[in-house]
Amino acid sequence: MATVASTLLAGLGDGAVYALIAVSFVIIFRATGVLNFAQPGLLILGTYVTSVLAVDRGVPFWVAAVIAVLVVAAISMGIERVAIRPMIGRPVFSTALVTVGIFIVLLILAFRLFAARARTIADPWQLEQWCLVQGETLCAVSLYQHHAGKIAVVAVVLGLLGVWLSRSRVGLAMRATSLDQEAALAQGINVGRMFSLSWALGGGLAALGGILLAANGSVVQANDALFALVALPALILGGIDSLRGAVVGGLVIGLVSALSSTYQPIHAPWLGPNFENVAPYLVMILVLLIRPYGLFGTKEVQRL
Amino acid sequence: MSQRTTPRRLLAAAAATGLILSACTAVDEDPDTDDEAIAAEEPDAPADDEPSDEDTTDSSDSTDDAEDTEDPAAGGDITTGDGVTEEACPEAVNPDNGCIYLGVLSDLTEGPFAALAVPITDAQRAYWAQVNEAGGIAGFDVDIDTYTRDTKYQPAEHAAAYQQIEPNILAIAQSLGTVNTESVLSDMDANDIVAVPASWWSGYAFSENDHGLIMETGYSYCVEAMVGLDWYGESHGEITSIAAVGYPGDYGGDSAAGAQLWAEQNGVDDVTVIPTGPNQVTGGQDAVVSAVMAAQPDVVLLAVGPAENAEIVGKLAGGGFTGRFLGSLPTWNPALLESAAAPALVGLYNHLAPTEQWDGTSAGTEAMKASLDGELPANGGYIIGWVMNYPMHALLEKAADSGDLTRAGVRAAMDGLEVDFDGMAEAITYGGEGAEVAVSGLIVGTPNAEAPLGIETTNEFFSGPSFEAIGYDQACSASS
Repeated sequence: MATVASTLLAGLGDGAVYALIAVSFVIIFRATGVLNFAQPGLLILGTYVTSVLAVDRGVPFWVAAVIAVLVVAAISMGIERVAIRPMIGRPVFSTALVTVGIFIVLLILAFRLFAARARTIADPWQLEQWCLVQGETLCAVSLYQHHAGKIAVVAVVLGLLGVWLSRSRVGLAMRATSLDQEAALAQGINVGRMFSLSWALGGGLAALGGILLAANGSVVQANDALFALVALPALILGGIDSLRGAVVGGLVIGLVSALSSTYQPIHAPWLGPNFENVAPYLVMILVLLIRPYGLFGTKEVQRL
Repeated sequence: MSQRTTPRRLLAAAAATGLILSACTAVDEDPDTDDEAIAAEEPDAPADDEPSDEDTTDSSDSTDDAEDTEDPAAGGDITTGDGVTEEACPEAVNPDNGCIYLGVLSDLTEGPFAALAVPITDAQRAYWAQVNEAGGIAGFDVDIDTYTRDTKYQPAEHAAAYQQIEPNILAIAQSLGTVNTESVLSDMDANDIVAVPASWWSGYAFSENDHGLIMETGYSYCVEAMVGLDWYGESHGEITSIAAVGYPGDYGGDSAAGAQLWAEQNGVDDVTVIPTGPNQVTGGQDAVVSAVMAAQPDVVLLAVGPAENAEIVGKLAGGGFTGRFLGSLPTWNPALLESAAAPALVGLYNHLAPTEQWDGTSAGTEAMKASLDGELPANGGYIIGWVMNYPMHALLEKAADSGDLTRAGVRAAMDGLEVDFDGMAEAITYGGEGAEVAVSGLIVGTPNAEAPLGIETTNEFFSGPSFEAIGYDQACSASS
């Protein structure tokens, strides 16, 4: 029971980060129809900027994190303006390939910036833990503060984002743009600005995901950018255009990974090592067999 | 309407690719063996010979045999072939020398080992620059820049890069990754191309795996586990239980296999093997922490990356775990001493390496330090890269001394080649099988913020009894 509880808490902590990253993909996709494969690059830049500010410059962690999110949001907006806006009207597939190129550029840039160094981010949680249930000698059920911190930060950020998207004029304009660009344009909405804003939001959320990824008491390196790709099953599972689906998908994937990594080696060792890396994809495939558009995705209507 | 179908397909394709990549982390046990002893021979220091030439053919299948028919002005009575030119190297230190081209197939930009591979390659460039400044090898400068390629640690990229550079190189100064190297081994065999690997798989000690083309430096991860556990037993008392945590395959898989062989030899029944992956794939090491905590071993062998090392050691120590940790060569990065896990690492962790660390005092280590004018590299990759050059340097000198700098001549010169690494690592005699070519000298380090690169050497070239007792007649694990 203690193992189940510890595993579930860890799974929720990781799942919260998956959810955040999945939402960052969805925000951009809904507004522009582009699946932005450059998100991993933006994620690791967020980690790097936070590390430079918080560790090298001594800026308080939360201030450093906010600045990093803003910096990466600005970079993301710049990418949209320079590389993506000219692709409007071209096949979506071509635009997606452009984002793959941007991803490679950002990743190489990250390697240059990290310069073969591992980095820390001076987060407030480090390796501290709360003992929830004390065993005979050691703690039976513990909760690492960084897991709790990740869950709290993601809940607050996504909650505020949801309110903002549903209540504010700009949020309404973004939603209108995502539903029908031409109709939004006819209503006086500056669609180009909405594109920029969605890329800024997506980039900022990815940066926050990178910051939370690095907040585990250890170190982070440039190639940890690829963590963002682990959110892909969450994205498909929830539905590629659904914010709610991204959150649910992220949490499900986090829990499935944690449970399989704890129990599969004991109960199904014949599945081989590191099965927890495969498990999310199996869940995703199972869900897609039943609901091809994901748990909360929009069903496509095709006229024949 | 159909605009959203394409991204879904694209995403599904990306997800499927991820699934395949994840599934590829599985490992099978597949040890093999054979043996064949070969005599040793001491190579000489570099010598500048009088220019001359003698045309030659080599056993290469390459179609680019232009050099074979030329008269190298440099190089004396030395037969040359592919990868060796009469013309000077680009930006040659010695414009009158010919040029030996060596390839480098490494992970230089975006792959998982780039942080280690970049300083490895930097060290190699510095080493050969010094060789060239000292006159080169028998009238030839050595160029490792022209045919350096970034393989991104992907076998397909590695194979493509190999095919691209093969016609123009004499040998490979660095081939990063066991699986990557294996992807081109049969071609290397056909082309008579020898290579120095930046990987430490036990299978390289057996010609049925490496075709006698691979010049490993230091011990394998399998041997490291055996000797490390011997050292632990001597230093910290009897071992009754072991946990081996690592990435499956030629790294963690080989290390875990070594731990199991050691346990079998020493009558220890309680061995827990815990496979894991890098944080960028798994998201964290909580499952490993839970598994180790449940097993409560005396000692944990770690064959992971630095980030995973710090998380595992830090969380276990914080949870009250009282065992100790032995970390393989790649588990360390100086930045770990800036992490929250630093106190746990200093108190409970020892670093294992086949070569002297930055605080070493051998002639080789001093020369390495001098190459950076007293500056420190980003991490220990520089040490690895420096040591890796010794066998290739000795090999080229031996081949030149025997008057045959063709690929076939270089390959033949491997038999019995003895390399002493200027004291940086245990001497190796190449060309043998299993224990004849394997070494076991272990450098044990302890984290110390005052020490260069954060590791203070506490034991040099330790060699325990288990490696010899176990024997070494087959690869400990499969490479993938």
